Amino acid sequence: MEFIGEHTLIGHLGNAFTSVAFAAAFLAAYSFYKSSCNETLKRIWLPVARGSFYMHGTAIIGVISCMFVMIYNHYFEYQYVWQHSSLELPTHYMISCFWEGQEGSFLLWIFWNIILGVLLIKSAKSWESSILTIVSIIQVFLVSMILGIYVFGLKIGSSPFDLIRNLEENIGLPWTEMANYLQVVPQFIDGRGLNPLLQNYWMVIHPPVLFLGFSLTMIPFTYVIAALWKKNYTKWIKQALPWTYAAIMVLGTGILMGGAWAYEALSFGGFWAWDPVENSSLVPWIILVAAAHLMLVYKNKKVALPTTMAMTLLAFILIIYSTYLTRSGILGDTSVHAFAGGLASQLLVYLLTFTFTTIVLFVVRYKNLPKDHKDDKVSSREFWLFIASMVLFISAFQITWFTSLPVINKVFGTQMAPPLDAIALYNSWQTPLALLIVILMAVTQYLSYTKTNFKKFFKQISFSLLLSAVLSLFIAYTVNMWHILYFSLLWATVFATLSNFEYWRKILKGTWEHSGASVAHIGFALVIMGALLSNANKNIISSNKGFIAKDFPSNENVLLEKGDTTLMGNYYVHYKSDTLLGINKTYEVEYFSLKEEGGFTYEFTLNPFIQLNEIMGNVAEPATKHFALYDVYTHLTYADTDVHDESNPYHHESLINIKQGDSVIYNQHFLYLDSLMVNANTDLQSQNALDVMLIAKLRMQNMQGEFSATQSIYAVKNNAAQSFPGFIDDKGLKYKFVFDQVNPEAGSIQIKAYEHIDNEKPFIVMKAIIFPYINVLWIGMILMAIGTFIAMIQLFKNKKTLES
Amino acid sequence: MKKTEIVLIVLVALIIGVIMSLTFNASTYITFADSEKQMGKEFTVIGSLNKEKDIRFEPKLNLLTFFAVDSLNNERKIYYHDSKPQDFERSEKITMTGFATDSGFVARTILMKCPSKYNEQQHINQDTLTSLTY
Repeated sequence: MEFIGEHTLIGHLGNAFTSVAFAAAFLAAYSFYKSSCNETLKRIWLPVARGSFYMHGTAIIGVISCMFVMIYNHYFEYQYVWQHSSLELPTHYMISCFWEGQEGSFLLWIFWNIILGVLLIKSAKSWESSILTIVSIIQVFLVSMILGIYVFGLKIGSSPFDLIRNLEENIGLPWTEMANYLQVVPQFIDGRGLNPLLQNYWMVIHPPVLFLGFSLTMIPFTYVIAALWKKNYTKWIKQALPWTYAAIMVLGTGILMGGAWAYEALSFGGFWAWDPVENSSLVPWIILVAAAHLMLVYKNKKVALPTTMAMTLLAFILIIYSTYLTRSGILGDTSVHAFAGGLASQLLVYLLTFTFTTIVLFVVRYKNLPKDHKDDKVSSREFWLFIASMVLFISAFQITWFTSLPVINKVFGTQMAPPLDAIALYNSWQTPLALLIVILMAVTQYLSYTKTNFKKFFKQISFSLLLSAVLSLFIAYTVNMWHILYFSLLWATVFATLSNFEYWRKILKGTWEHSGASVAHIGFALVIMGALLSNANKNIISSNKGFIAKDFPSNENVLLEKGDTTLMGNYYVHYKSDTLLGINKTYEVEYFSLKEEGGFTYEFTLNPFIQLNEIMGNVAEPATKHFALYDVYTHLTYADTDVHDESNPYHHESLINIKQGDSVIYNQHFLYLDSLMVNANTDLQSQNALDVMLIAKLRMQNMQGEFSATQSIYAVKNNAAQSFPGFIDDKGLKYKFVFDQVNPEAGSIQIKAYEHIDNEKPFIVMKAIIFPYINVLWIGMILMAIGTFIAMIQLFKNKKTLES
Repeated sequence: MKKTEIVLIVLVALIIGVIMSLTFNASTYITFADSEKQMGKEFTVIGSLNKEKDIRFEPKLNLLTFFAVDSLNNERKIYYHDSKPQDFERSEKITMTGFATDSGFVARTILMKCPSKYNEQQHINQDTLTSLTY
């Protein structure tokens, strides 16, 4: 059968590209493996290998182009396009549609791996064959996720080129047999559209950055695997170091961009909530940081090689584990934004294959690994860098273990539910660990490798130590932070900032090339400081004093009627107006402060809005006013989004059944049916009623006890019924009553009552939070990225000089 | 003893600490009936929304009340002192932490699970079917 209006060519093309990409990745893996065996084979196989890798890359770019064509031209017969885009979606968000779904995000990952693969082909020299074997194997696994083919009745992957009518669950439905289904089935006119939460500029850049970070983590992993495999145990470090720093920088930036998105666009009020999805990208980053520091130790002191290797391997295994957690659907009950999953078993195979192979390879080679037999001195830099890595490891372990609760339940058959106050529990572990890390970050640079001269050490560090004590006391006094743990952490972050700055200024003589570590450390200290100041001292100014139970405040929200003003914190907050613009209903909320001499001073206006989305539900987006020293965050937790039709101002229909002489409570008011009169025009001969008119006399009582009356009429003329509504419009009541029907058996009548829209003023329920010093966090984040970038450049330069 | 060994012992101790910490702090999924044995103590209950009954949000009281059915098909009235989450009516499963009282279950937090994409599609196809009966 020929289906009208379908664009099947592009789908066939896309599927063809996918198959080519899969086959080419396979071929690349095999031929890179062959070429890694010896020089003779290399001459034959390397060109084949490179050729197939490039072919794989080209095919993937073909797949991506096909998807863009489909999304751009709104081919809603394709499941992916229908599910993730819609006609009115602006072009820049079409890019986000591309990776909203599983298939698209895997493609993004595959794409970055190709870019990095090409860079490695160009730069890895003698390592090329062995590391690209591993990259190609990873590509085989990843492309298998988007294959969408059946092998022995098992579905392998899910293809972005599936037609909706071909989906398993739709086969056999009547509409799939209709040639013109695209024209007649209304659902196909438009797609379901992009999730409103993702229609945010951060969501255009956050996923690509995060996935580039995932991809970069692969590179140090492939180097270690190659080193173990080819028994070339030590030379990999200098090769992998700059890539490790690149991964730290990009992954770290990606994670914090996610935090920025959560802060700007999500409603939980903060940038971090220890949500499993957030955790699972943070953990590999922490492990990667530990691995990078161990690599530096090995580069300088040739110690702790096995630990360094294990840590590097772990970082990438954790990336796969995080993919499994977030995409298999296993997180289900514990995460707000777990993606729906269908690839669970395939992801598990990917995870177990890599974990198992890595462990076996490591264990087999362990006895051959060069080990150090002398004990490090407690005063040496390497000892404390090692300790710092272990602290990072514990921090990562705690996060992973807690996040893995559903996995633990599954493996051990337990029924544990997440801790009741999970965030507090995370903080109770992570705050002391952060304190340790930040102190180590402050002092370790001043220690020398092998043995430290303590006299010199104290001379160098005493200035920062003293100044930090004074400064942190001053800050604690200003922000009133005397909780012992918080104060210690505050002091440590100040100390680390100063000592790293001093180290760069005095010992590194303020040179830019060597500033990487110092800048990144200062950045990290500021991130922690900003998180501490903005979280520990955050002030929910909209909260009021009601309590439901001990430690259970009833209300962090304030209700504001249109035109009303209320006091929140130091502000008088006024709900001025609301406007509907396109799909956004925007509310104008003005903030005033009180003048000393009386009267108000206008401070600023915030425009939180609600994105109206019939299909996925409305989404409220907060608005934040940024000041240098604090942010005022405003979020609508509830707003009346009904669009009032002014031509028909009566709404909220209710059915009232009432007997003569009776009363009912309607909308908090008493409503009486005083009498029911019948006017009939009877045919005298047959005694049949020709025309009948029923008049219901209604009376309503307002809050002051005053009455207002009306009558509603039900008429039958020539067997046609007609109703004449009655209106009440005085004494503060505004209602319409339609005499709907008579129930002769019950002896009652039924009235449809409507309320006038003027009866209820529009209102919003809002939450407002002040986050003090949150800019410290963002500045820290930028410095961390810059510092890591400088370090990375320096390491790439070193690698170059080493090779030439 | 070598210092690395000491570090290792501390490390293992901390790892055990983390594992214990989760086991001790994890709450348990229980039913409404069980939560009523210890009124006022907080538990986690997984239930589903009864869409037949009244879902009432009173903005002025900042109170959402609804009825939920637990795994043993027991129904309770739920009091949730916060705004109604967007799309609440469409939720399938609701994870609630809170405590039992005489008049119902007071939820401190609720986490909703919305229908998966797959089910939603089924649903739409069902609509399609009915709209196309010919």
